[in-house]
This record gives sequence, C-alpha cells and structure tokens, in this order.
Amino acid sequence: MNTLASVSGCIVQLDKHDGGSNMKLGVLGGVSLALSLIASTGYSAEDQEIKRYTSQVCAACHGPKGNSISPAFPRLAGQQAAYIEAQLTGFHDRTRGDPAAQAYMWGMASQLDARDIKQLAAYYAAQRPVPGAPGDKTLMAQGKTIYEQGMPDAGVPACATCHGAAAEGKEVIPRLAGQHPAYLVKQLAYFKAQLRANAPVMHAVTDKMTFDQMEAVATYAASK
Amino acid sequence: MRVLYSKGVCAALSTVAILLLCSNNAMAVPSFARQTGMACEACHTVFPELTPFGRAFKLNGYLIDNLPQVKEVTADKKESLLLNWLPPLSVQFVASYTKFNTALPDPNGGLSQNGTVQFPEAFSLFYAGRIAPQLGGFIQLTYDNNSDSVGWDNTDIRFADLTTLGQDKPLTWGVSANNNPSVQDPWNTLPAWQYPFSQTSSLAVSPVTTTQLEGIGNGTVAGLTAYGYWNNLVYLELGGYAAAPHGINNTPLNSSFPGEVVHGVSPYWRVAVQPQWGRSSLAVGLVGFSDQVVPSGSNVTTGSPLDEFRDTGIDAQYQYIGDDHIFSAQARYIYEKQTLNAAAAANPGLDPDNTLKSLRIGGSYFYQRQLGGSVAYFSTMGNTNPALYATSTGSPNTNGWAFEADYLPWQNVKLAVQYILYTKFNGSSGNTSYTLPSDVPRTASDNNTLYIFAWIAF
Repeated sequence: MNTLASVSGCIVQLDKHDGGSNMKLGVLGGVSLALSLIASTGYSAEDQEIKRYTSQVCAACHGPKGNSISPAFPRLAGQQAAYIEAQLTGFHDRTRGDPAAQAYMWGMASQLDARDIKQLAAYYAAQRPVPGAPGDKTLMAQGKTIYEQGMPDAGVPACATCHGAAAEGKEVIPRLAGQHPAYLVKQLAYFKAQLRANAPVMHAVTDKMTFDQMEAVATYAASK
Repeated sequence: MRVLYSKGVCAALSTVAILLLCSNNAMAVPSFARQTGMACEACHTVFPELTPFGRAFKLNGYLIDNLPQVKEVTADKKESLLLNWLPPLSVQFVASYTKFNTALPDPNGGLSQNGTVQFPEAFSLFYAGRIAPQLGGFIQLTYDNNSDSVGWDNTDIRFADLTTLGQDKPLTWGVSANNNPSVQDPWNTLPAWQYPFSQTSSLAVSPVTTTQLEGIGNGTVAGLTAYGYWNNLVYLELGGYAAAPHGINNTPLNSSFPGEVVHGVSPYWRVAVQPQWGRSSLAVGLVGFSDQVVPSGSNVTTGSPLDEFRDTGIDAQYQYIGDDHIFSAQARYIYEKQTLNAAAAANPGLDPDNTLKSLRIGGSYFYQRQLGGSVAYFSTMGNTNPALYATSTGSPNTNGWAFEADYLPWQNVKLAVQYILYTKFNGSSGNTSYTLPSDVPRTASDNNTLYIFAWIAF
C-alpha cells in the first residue's frame, strides 16, 4: 500500500490495490466537487490528483506550480523530470542525505513509490519555469568564465558541458536556470562537503572550489 | 490597603487565575515530526513560533502524513478510515526555578519562600496529528504542579479541505473546534501562541486585569470557527464561542456557580494578509472578540445585568528565516471596550464604561536555531476606576520588559533564562499590593521575576 493521499490527507488518493494499472480517484467528503472539476475541465483524474497533491503539500515550500518564494527551497518548475525522479528516489531510499534532505524530504518521500515519483517529476517538468535574473556584475562576469570555461587548474570542468549552454540541464543533469542562487550555492557547499552522496561527480567538481567561486557561478547559472 | 472586590474585579481575577493556569504553553510537538517524518525546523523557527510551512500544515488540518496507514475504502472508493499505524503521541516536560526580586508576603505574615524549584512545573501529553482523512487535531492534557491538578489544555480539532478560487489559486478552508479564542490562529501574535515569551513562570504574579482575548483561556469556552486561506495570502475566519466550564453542570443558571462564564454566543473574527518574499514573510491582521460575562452568583433567567466586553486587535509579524540567522518580530495591540452593567449594579460607585488597552511588541534572534534571545515590551493601560480596580491608585496600568536568553542543544530541548522587569504594576511603581491579605507595601520592581527553565519534548 502506498498512497499520495495519505500524505495530503485530502480528497483524492492514489489507490494501487486493484492491480496498479491505473490510479483511481478515491473520494472522500468532496466527491462532488472533485468530480465536477474533472467534468468541467476535462482533466484526467490523475491530473487532478497531482494538482491537488502538489498544491496542498509540495506548494507549502516549493511554491505554486513549483515556483518557490524562499531560496531555502528549490524551484521545481521546468526542472528535468529525470533529475526530480532521481532526487525523490534518493530521498525515499535515503541515499541523498544532506541536512535539508534529512529534515524535510526523507519524511515527505518516505511513502512515495516509483509510480508516484514519476508522476510528480512529470508534473513539475511540465510547469513553466521563472526566467533567471542577472545578479551582481562582478559575480556574473566571474561566474560566466567558470560556467563556460571551467577552472582547469582546479580541476573544475566547464559547467556548460553537462548543464547546457542555457543551463537548461539534460535528463539527470539538473536545470540551473532560474533557480535561487542561494540554493545553488548551498548545494555546491554540500557537494564539496560530500553531503550529497548521490552525486559523486559533483563531489569531485567542487573539491577545490572556493565559496566566492561558488557564489559567482551560481549567480551566473541562475540568471540564465 | 483595603481590598475591594467588586464583581468586575472578581471577573478580572478569575480570568487572571485562568491565565496563570494556562501560561505554560510553549510547545512544539514531536507528534507532528513523528507523523510527517520531518524535523522540527520544518514547522518551527524555534518552537513554538511557526514557519510559513508550519502555518500551512496547521491550516491544512495537521493532515500531512508520512506514516503507513490502517485504512478502509468503500466500494465506491470513499475512504472510511485512515489511521496512522502508530498514534502521533508526545510528551512535554518543563522544569523550572522561579525567584522574585522580593519574596511575596506570606498570608500568615512575614514573607513566603523565594526561589522555587518545580520539577516538573508542567507535564503534558499530546495527541497531535491526523484523526481521519480530512480531520486532524492538536489535543493537550497538562499536569500543573502549582495547582497539583491535571487539566484540559490547548485543543484544536479541525476539518480542512482544499479547492481553488480564481485561476487555479488555492483556497484552503476548514472548520476548527477549539477551546480558546486564538488557539486556532496560525501566527504567533495573538495571546494563545504569543511569541516570544510563550513560556512564563506559573508562579509569577499577574496584574489586576487583562483583556478577554488574553485572559479567557482554556477551559471556560468552546468555539466553532470557519476559515479560509486564499492563495497563501489572505486569511479570513469567523466563529463563535459558548461557555464550556469544566466540571460544572447547568451553568450559568445555577446561582451557586462560583466562577465567571460567558453568556450566549461570543463572536470571534479574524482577517490577515501574509505577503512573502525571499526568506521573509510578513503578516498583518485584525482580530475581534466580544462576550458577555455572567458574574458569579447571578441568575440570567431573572434578567440580571451582564458585563459586556468587546475586544478589537491589530497585529503584525515579520519573519526572516535564513540558514544561519533567524529573526522575527511580533506586535499586537488590543483595545477592549467594557460595559460593566453587572459590576455597576452591584457597586453603585463603579463606572460601568471602562476601557483596557493591551500592547505587546517583541523580537527574537537565533543563530543556527541553537543560540538566541528575545526581548519584549508589554503594557496594559486602562482608565482609572477605583471601584473596579482595588489597586493603590485605582488604575490597572501595568507595563515592563521581558528578556530571555536561550540555548537549544537539540531541536527539542530548550534551556532558558528569563527576566521580567516591571516598570509599573497595578497603576504604580510604588505601592502595588492589591490581593494580599497583609498591607505590606510592595513596589513594581519587587515583582520582577527571574525564571530559569528547561523545556523538553519527545
């Protein structure tokens, strides 16, 4: 048994008791409302479930449709589905164990199964990301150099090689464009401290980066 | 000084007594951490102050749940049962040391002991979490060492649901059944969850009076309120409270009833907006509560007059939640209009038209949620009414400062040193005694209170 509704406690639930081939709309007190919404919008029950779950649970931190307000929480709108899937799986399996992951996401992801995770990842990947905003000019210039050319002396490859020229990411490589710069800096610090164990490549990349370099490259990547 | 007890004073004193009993309400409950699998910091900056996520969790009915479930689904896919595999229970334990600047006079003469250790000062049991698919609760039972009794404490049981209103804008709505006007509120400005200084000594002396919103407390009323929270921005709530005193039947008609209860339905309303940007959130709100109080010994069926109170408040809260630095500030102002028909009928010298104004402004800072402190200014001001307030000046005015230093070695353990400094107490900085059986002069600063406490929850 594994239900999204057990997380939201809300009208709908993902019920996998009957073979698991389709998610079913489990209906509680608000049956007529939920059904009328579906009837009027043409959305599938699955869409409604995800919308309801994300807006009641995930949105409290990650913002409406994945556009979070606080840099303590990453923006998910437009993020690569494969990356979200990998992270949610990492939270569920506890293979991603940075402090924020432990405090927030280990619990939140504990009852999700592979199907739930795929659906959540697809939902957020389909949302429109907010465009990045340029930051401090000096940081932007320094960050651009690191992002596009890397720091060969420090063993830091060009970020663009994997994250893309527009920082859009690809599959399990995350989108950085439009992200909160402070969130990116914190992740780089986590990588350097080897606290995000599900990303060994980034441990090596950040090993010799200074905080100032992290701030510069985060400012530039987020601005894309 | 001669002690004058009008019925109005009795009403005020009874609420003060209730306030005293219920003053130990600094809490965050590990029940929620058990249910959600999330650390305390998700919902609290430093307990009991809520983060934006904590507020959303509360308004959504305490329903977010990451435990395996015992469930049943009917043939038409309705969930008829959804129970946590393990109940979200927890315990709170407060031990403390309280010392007054000058020991209180002993009723039998001389001074009573000064420097009191309480172990525990309070001990609470909680069930806090989801009860049914859309029903959740925060239910607290507390042993109070000072009265050596177990009593019903903060309770908020709520139904919550989510819909949309206007272009996919989320609307969380619900109904709360609770036992204290403002215990259901998600911000930390109103009396039930005021912050900082949510935890004060149960032994501390209290001023002669307080507003109804501050003083009505748990255990005398039961309320039902409906609320809506739209687009994570606008909050509206409306409801009413009725008398629900513990251990008393057939009140308030029984003339032998010893205490004060509200008559009829007491309306409560709340409006607030909460803009958020970056790591900051701001909330600005208004609150109102009106009640009619039946004085002890009165019989409303014979048309005895009632004391009427109308509270109107404005409040604001700002929070900055950084990775290392957390800062918050809270302010509230309550204006209370009183029409004391019952008190005036019993005491012709008493002016029935009375006002009280309660102000509280405080702020706190924490570094990495471990080391921090708080400061607050508090003030209660009212018109002089000698027949109502048996103080040396006939004035209820009390004001002062509160200071606290905190160390949290872990998220669920707080060690604190607190000092309450009175610049005025019961209308005077000089002789402030009013309820003491002796005529021992006592200054405002004699009531200054050092309070050292350990708070643990698990």
